[in-house]
Amino acid sequence: MEWSVLVGGEAGQGMFSVELELSELLSKLHYHFFATKNYMSRIRGGHNFHMVRIAEDPVHALSGEPWNMVIALDSETEQYHKTDLSASGVFLSPGQVKEMEQVARERFGGVTATNTMLVGLILAAIGCPQDKFSGIAGIASNPDHLSAGFEFARRWGLAGRCPIEPKAPTHCKFDGNQALALGALLGGCQFMAGYPMTPATSIMHYISTVALDHPVHFEQAEDEISAVNMALGASYAGLRSLVATSGGGFALMQEGISLAGMTETPLIVIVAQRPGPATGLPTRTEQGDLNFVLHAGHGEFPRAIYAPGSLHEAMILARKSFHVADGCQTPIFILTDQYLADSVQMMVEEIPSEIIRREYGSFDSSYSRYRLTASGLSPLACPGAGDALVRVDSDEHDEEGKITEDLSLRTRMVEKRMKKSDFLKKETVMPTFTGDPVSDVIVINWGSNKLIVEEAVRRIAGGGVRTGALHFSQVYPLTQDMVKPFNLKGKRIISVENNATGQFAGLLKRELGISVDHQILKYNGECFTVKELSQILRKYLS
Amino acid sequence: MIARKEIAWCPGCGNFPIRDVLESVLKELPVPANKVVLTSGIGQAAKMPHYLEVNYFNGLHGRALPLAVGIKLARPDLTVIAYSGDGCNYGEGGNHFIHTIRRRLDITILTSNNQVYGLTKGQSSPTTDREVKNLLDPQGNENIPLNPVSLAITMGAPFVARGFAGEKDHLKSVIREAILFKGTALVDILQPCVSFNRINTYGWYRERVYKVDKPAENRYEALKLADAWNTKIPIGVLFQDDSARSRELKTLCGKSITKEAVEQMVCTKCVMMR
Repeated sequence: MEWSVLVGGEAGQGMFSVELELSELLSKLHYHFFATKNYMSRIRGGHNFHMVRIAEDPVHALSGEPWNMVIALDSETEQYHKTDLSASGVFLSPGQVKEMEQVARERFGGVTATNTMLVGLILAAIGCPQDKFSGIAGIASNPDHLSAGFEFARRWGLAGRCPIEPKAPTHCKFDGNQALALGALLGGCQFMAGYPMTPATSIMHYISTVALDHPVHFEQAEDEISAVNMALGASYAGLRSLVATSGGGFALMQEGISLAGMTETPLIVIVAQRPGPATGLPTRTEQGDLNFVLHAGHGEFPRAIYAPGSLHEAMILARKSFHVADGCQTPIFILTDQYLADSVQMMVEEIPSEIIRREYGSFDSSYSRYRLTASGLSPLACPGAGDALVRVDSDEHDEEGKITEDLSLRTRMVEKRMKKSDFLKKETVMPTFTGDPVSDVIVINWGSNKLIVEEAVRRIAGGGVRTGALHFSQVYPLTQDMVKPFNLKGKRIISVENNATGQFAGLLKRELGISVDHQILKYNGECFTVKELSQILRKYLS
Repeated sequence: MIARKEIAWCPGCGNFPIRDVLESVLKELPVPANKVVLTSGIGQAAKMPHYLEVNYFNGLHGRALPLAVGIKLARPDLTVIAYSGDGCNYGEGGNHFIHTIRRRLDITILTSNNQVYGLTKGQSSPTTDREVKNLLDPQGNENIPLNPVSLAITMGAPFVARGFAGEKDHLKSVIREAILFKGTALVDILQPCVSFNRINTYGWYRERVYKVDKPAENRYEALKLADAWNTKIPIGVLFQDDSARSRELKTLCGKSITKEAVEQMVCTKCVMMR
């Protein structure tokens, strides 16, 4: 049983408030749900819509099936989405919404109460008992406004239209960026610098909110060039540091990424992808920057790139990235995208109780920042902690960090830096497999497509072809050990990516010699839906 | 002590006396040596930290200032000095120069201003005077020179000074005051480039510089001082506002993120931001 709702209107009409409040209540009431949004790059006007899927089983993607309910706050929503209503679907016209607004004004003194009334109406439609809210802690919604929504549902015959059992276990509710910010805190991140850019901005918001009362600092930089250099300064000075941006801002950070590589300064860079090139579609989704991040920064230095596929992976990998960046003394990247950033979901997995942090050894005046060692890793020190002077240089340097043009030393320093990639091998994040253990077809994917692909593969199960999904949350480095357990030889491989050129398929070929038989690519700025993806998969399997 | 032959500057370079001054200022500061950090960018001047016994982060061209900001925000206990040339601090890093002043941090900005690009062998810099011919300006520089001292005063910097590499004792006292001043301080240091600037020589400066006794009364008077250039060039502290307050920074290093912080993050409401 499930019930999907679309709320559409002009930016500023309150759809986001409806989504926010509804997802908050659904979470508190233990309904399984998935919420995401499709919005334009403007503050007022245009056409935005918010989508919420409520179900009795865990859901982590848009189904793509016709809507069970469309709430049109304006005529454009009616025009675009009414045709996509299921046969028994409920359409709430702008006229009906106006009626609710009238009551909101008369009874509650303003139209904004309509948002909560709409939430009440949706809850009534899924058969949520009206008395259920009392006694649940932390519900901020006004009970009178909710009741008014229930009244409308009864009056229009919508109450209990599609009863859904609340079956979700104990969980947390996040959007993708919040999960990343949480992971960063768990990883001991105490410094972030950034310049606002969709869809990365809310990571800055979450960190700056926590910074108010805790030993964390957020600095809004004058540009991304400054942001990355500030973060490197803070990391050098002793704090685990983070920057987050999107493609255009990341383009400005290039030189700083290279500086992190050369100076061996740990740094975490979150790149929240949106469609490019240039400004592209600022508020939509794409996986177009894998190659960009892979090759970011001039010169050669080790790096790892994580691409979480779920809230849990976002939290765990953000946390882990700080450990790996410190361990390898190199920049570590996390690739996310607007779809994951803006989707609100529940996470049932536990939050790690241990907050990891950077530890320094103690050093005397004989300390050299770039001491040559067998592992390539030199002990990290921060200035002002002891007698050690900490000297770092963007030029090629000697062990003390002094500029050098000794070319045999240059060779040793290059080898030292590259040797550190051994550390990355030890920290490999294995891909995850779901589906038929003896599959004939493997659907390879990475990043935010994970849970869409998994549901699509579940949906086509039993169709005659045994199919599995293999998701990579570490997209670089790729090693043979990562794929060996899944025995890909002789299997048909289909890749799914949100870009036009199949960047990950290309990387698989280059790094592991794996050829993909079919590529499923989408690059209109929207995520895949389960229905859409399963239909395409069926076509390839028949 | 660093041997002169290890130093990459030309014989007679104005950076030598500046280095000597910095070395003695750092030695005499009432701050332990290990608590001082120099950041620098790229250029001949930006090699300075390599020739001093000090913590340093020699970063990228134009980026000495954001590095200094990051270090100061992370570690308010450190004395942070950003040192670079005019190309670095005012050209490639011009935007950072403006915004670093806005941040109201206790950072000292020192610039070796020789009005020319030295490391790349003689191109015009942001401070090159009009009509001066350089490698890429064979017809003469057509741009208005940037006046870093006026700009800093206008941006609200609470301590703005000019020094001259040919006046070591005076320079020493100005730099010392700048470092000890609690707030953003700029010292623009007139530094003859003996290889690529045949106009603004030691002799040229000696004919023009004069020491101001005390800072100007207010910003407007300071701007008048800062504006003087062709015939008389004032050096010393041109503007100082002791009432200006730097940002309050909290101690971060050595503090741990707590379960409460994690709890707060878990309970933070989702937002929709563009």
